[in-house]
Amino acid sequence: MSDQVTLTIDGKTVTVPKGTLIVEAAKQIEQEIPVFCYHGKLSQVGMCRMCLVEVGTPMFDRATREPVLDENGVQKIGFFPKPMTACTTPVSEGMVVKVDSGAALDDRKAVLEFLLTSHPLDCPVCDKGGECPLQDLTMKHGSGISRFNYEEKQHFPKKYPLGDLIVLDMERCVICTRCIRFQSEIAHDPVLAIENRGRHAHIVSYSDPPFDSHYSGNATDVCPVGALTTKDFRFGARSWEMKNVPSICNHCGVGCNTVLGTRKGGSGTGQLKRVMPRQNETVNELWICDKGRFGHHFNESPNRLTTPLIRQDGQLVESTWADVLPFIGEKISSIKSANGSTALGGIAGARLSNEDLYLFQKLFRQIIGSNNIDHRVGLNANFEDTTAYTVGVGVGTDLSQVGKGSTILVIGSDLDQEAPILYIRVAGASVKRSAHVINIGGRRTKLDAQAQTSAYYQYGTASYLVLGILASVVAQGLVNQEWIDRHATGFSEITKLLQDFAPDSVADTTGVSSAEIEAIAKSYAEAENGIIIFGHEAGNDPALGAAIEALAAVTGHAGKPNNGVIAVLPHANSRGAADMGVVPNRLLGYLPLEGEAGLSAEQMLSGNSIKGMIIAGADPASESDTYRECLQNLDFLVVQDLFLTETAQLADVVLPAKAVAERDGTFTNLERRVQTFDVGIDSPLLAWSDWLILAAIAGQLGADWGYASADGVMAEITQEVPLYQNMAFENLVAPVSLDRQTDHYIYEGMSFTADVHEGIQWATVAENEQQKITLQLVVPENHTGSDEITLVTPRILYDGGRLLAETDVVQSHVFQTRALLSSVDAKKLGLNNGDSVTISQNGTAVNLPIQISRMLNEGTILIPRNIEGRPAERLVGSSDVHASVKVKKS
Amino acid sequence: MWSEKERQELDKILEKYPPDRKMSAVLPALYVVQRRKNYLTDDDIKDVAEALDVTVTHVHSVIGFYTLFRKEPTGKYMVQVCTDLPCALRGAEDFYHRLCERMEIGSHGGTTDDDLFTVEGVVCIAACDKAPCMQINLEFFESLTDDQIDEVIKRLRQGESLTAVAANY
Repeated sequence: MSDQVTLTIDGKTVTVPKGTLIVEAAKQIEQEIPVFCYHGKLSQVGMCRMCLVEVGTPMFDRATREPVLDENGVQKIGFFPKPMTACTTPVSEGMVVKVDSGAALDDRKAVLEFLLTSHPLDCPVCDKGGECPLQDLTMKHGSGISRFNYEEKQHFPKKYPLGDLIVLDMERCVICTRCIRFQSEIAHDPVLAIENRGRHAHIVSYSDPPFDSHYSGNATDVCPVGALTTKDFRFGARSWEMKNVPSICNHCGVGCNTVLGTRKGGSGTGQLKRVMPRQNETVNELWICDKGRFGHHFNESPNRLTTPLIRQDGQLVESTWADVLPFIGEKISSIKSANGSTALGGIAGARLSNEDLYLFQKLFRQIIGSNNIDHRVGLNANFEDTTAYTVGVGVGTDLSQVGKGSTILVIGSDLDQEAPILYIRVAGASVKRSAHVINIGGRRTKLDAQAQTSAYYQYGTASYLVLGILASVVAQGLVNQEWIDRHATGFSEITKLLQDFAPDSVADTTGVSSAEIEAIAKSYAEAENGIIIFGHEAGNDPALGAAIEALAAVTGHAGKPNNGVIAVLPHANSRGAADMGVVPNRLLGYLPLEGEAGLSAEQMLSGNSIKGMIIAGADPASESDTYRECLQNLDFLVVQDLFLTETAQLADVVLPAKAVAERDGTFTNLERRVQTFDVGIDSPLLAWSDWLILAAIAGQLGADWGYASADGVMAEITQEVPLYQNMAFENLVAPVSLDRQTDHYIYEGMSFTADVHEGIQWATVAENEQQKITLQLVVPENHTGSDEITLVTPRILYDGGRLLAETDVVQSHVFQTRALLSSVDAKKLGLNNGDSVTISQNGTAVNLPIQISRMLNEGTILIPRNIEGRPAERLVGSSDVHASVKVKKS
Repeated sequence: MWSEKERQELDKILEKYPPDRKMSAVLPALYVVQRRKNYLTDDDIKDVAEALDVTVTHVHSVIGFYTLFRKEPTGKYMVQVCTDLPCALRGAEDFYHRLCERMEIGSHGGTTDDDLFTVEGVVCIAACDKAPCMQINLEFFESLTDDQIDEVIKRLRQGESLTAVAANY
């Protein structure tokens, strides 16, 4: 039988794949069947009855199975006696569907009249007004009058807090359950449900805290009425007043496409009213996490730097660009002539754009003449990824298409915390599309519930485990020799080394049995597509990166779409910072530096050879006392930032920078996708873009760069960095798919008009037939097991970062400084929730209250990184992820 | 907290379902914990959620769907009179209001001062042909007259067991 089915909808013939739903078939011929509960990304429930249509099928004689013909010899169509829901009924051959005819029109009118029995007709004050499917469909299909008795209208409280970010107006709800299904099917946080029945039905959340999810804002997007609103946008602006500016989220490395809903305020300055997801199926589909949605209010914080500051008599006082820039030029020149250019160094945060970072390295390498530059501080400090250049995921990779026959290996990452939208996509690949997801980590994480396979290693042994998997791939004869021959060298050398890492030999060290290792190896190697995602908790270990690279290469899982490696980097442009060579031993395009390498951030901030520094968008002083002392002792420190950070407080000159929403530029995400963001709102009057500040400093040092825009800087990058040769702004903003924009928002599209782009990925060595990957393994450092407690310091979503600290609306979500301990250890130590413990390691000790966690295994204590007081960094240092510690009741 | 006896009862219930489908046992588990106080407290609900690996929100949702589960304290005897259309046609609605008034709890249900009876109107207890009908806890009473129900109430107040009283109807 054919896999295609032909049917007729309102007289038009359409051919679609078998199993297609009527509503989807109708979309293809631009016949809009109105819906509320149907959503293309969610399961079908047929709850709202809005999509009722008349359906007929060709008639057959029941006895003979012969077609029943009419007087003209044409097969008769038998219509079902009742209307059917187009959102749950699959098409069948010869089906005839009537959408815009008598009975279906009446049904629609009746359903709307029913849905509106208690719905307030307050569209003029409702936040959804102007982008509301209920409003639009009522205008189009409604009867205009209601026969229901107004006195019997169902009343509910108007402002019911579902959580502290989302507000419910139950009178407006049409019980479509889209929010409930989003939470359980996409976010895998089933914290919403309907309580009671019929007219008393109510959406509720009884989780602790209520609506406990990183994705709650998306429920307001899928809501087809004005029932769910976000706390910060309620009554903030009307949808048609806002300009929708395409942007990229700057909170993590996923690079979610967003739109900035901006409005000109009374004073004429643009205000950022809301951040919404902008559809990009290859990055974030239709979703963003709550940090991305709500974490933009730092823009309007009263603590923003608004003018350059200069130190006079020990105090930072307001100044002007005209005064501070020549001063910076003089000081840098004098340090250079007195102490040499290597006495100057720079640290640039990985939240800066590619253009900023490119000019940062150009300023230091070409104008100042120093290789002392780095971006690896803070959350970036303990993570370096070289696999991206060789075996990074293939160009065209789209996790929303990865499914049956594919294996995704997640190593050492709590994705729900580190990269939430990546979590949604990996979990979806497993649950919705039957990919084999293997979650390997040192502790249980949320993804375990969706992964088919989970394995737990001893912290610090991830590299042993990957080598064990690699050895098992070789031993089971699962290598892809043809791929290796074409793309790699050094295979025979690494096989010799692998003999020491057979699954049997690493089982004891890692705590993962040889049978598990062999099964993982088999699943990954035999999969049609294989992706490895590794994160922060896999550890900062050169042996790990080398082993992962070799594993992807010998199995041939690289160099093509939906195959390769993704490192979960912490910041919006961690990838770009490496690409732009803001690394002491790497040049543009991450090419190795011939000759003597510069000093790393850690070296610059720990020694005394550096006399002057420029620090852009980074706050090392908050990280450690050593760093702070070092910065205090500098002869000259320039800081460019949004806020007067702890580092800025030590500076001689502080320069106000523009935030992402106030400027344009590009970020490169963790899949190496370069994406542009546009100017959304006005900045504080005297703030400049970081690239402009750097160009001005270079100008003071005699350079004549003449950049007029970020666009212009990128034009130069395309010339200087071969990986970026296609990344000119005009290419990056080319719309990729018109279909997506016309897809009507009542189904699953965006409720606003905004440019949709996919961004452009640069190609890896594996994709280049002219180049070969040199396989090399690094023998991991000896792992000594310990009977002490292991402290693990993961990255979390709501940490103590400055941008979140300046965003009031999410304050209750920010992690309160404490340590998490397994219940077994708590019992051993006689501890209850809230008790204080002393955690010590190598002479450093911190006191913290504890919380008992069911997710932790015995022998593990957890303190997230980058939280108030930085206890994790104080105990394990900047570049380690875990340490053996002593824990006792204090 | 589950008592030893309740725990045994729950284990018996769980035997009927596959180990990864404990969710199926929400209804029977709720009956077990509701016996503690004749209504469900937050702690009872949490007990069920934890024992069956479901969210507290899900358990609340189930409770809200079924009229036999309650989250408010009630009298020892829960008197549920069907007032839906077929029963109302046989006079059940008036019967219900009269009953409420005679028990001095207004005309729309409530709990008596001695905390012995809670009366409420419900939708369909599957005995439309024998209306006015009612359910006291899990016992059925059908084709009732005012005198009969007065008799039932009187005997229950005197301390007779519900099963004994129900046997006569």
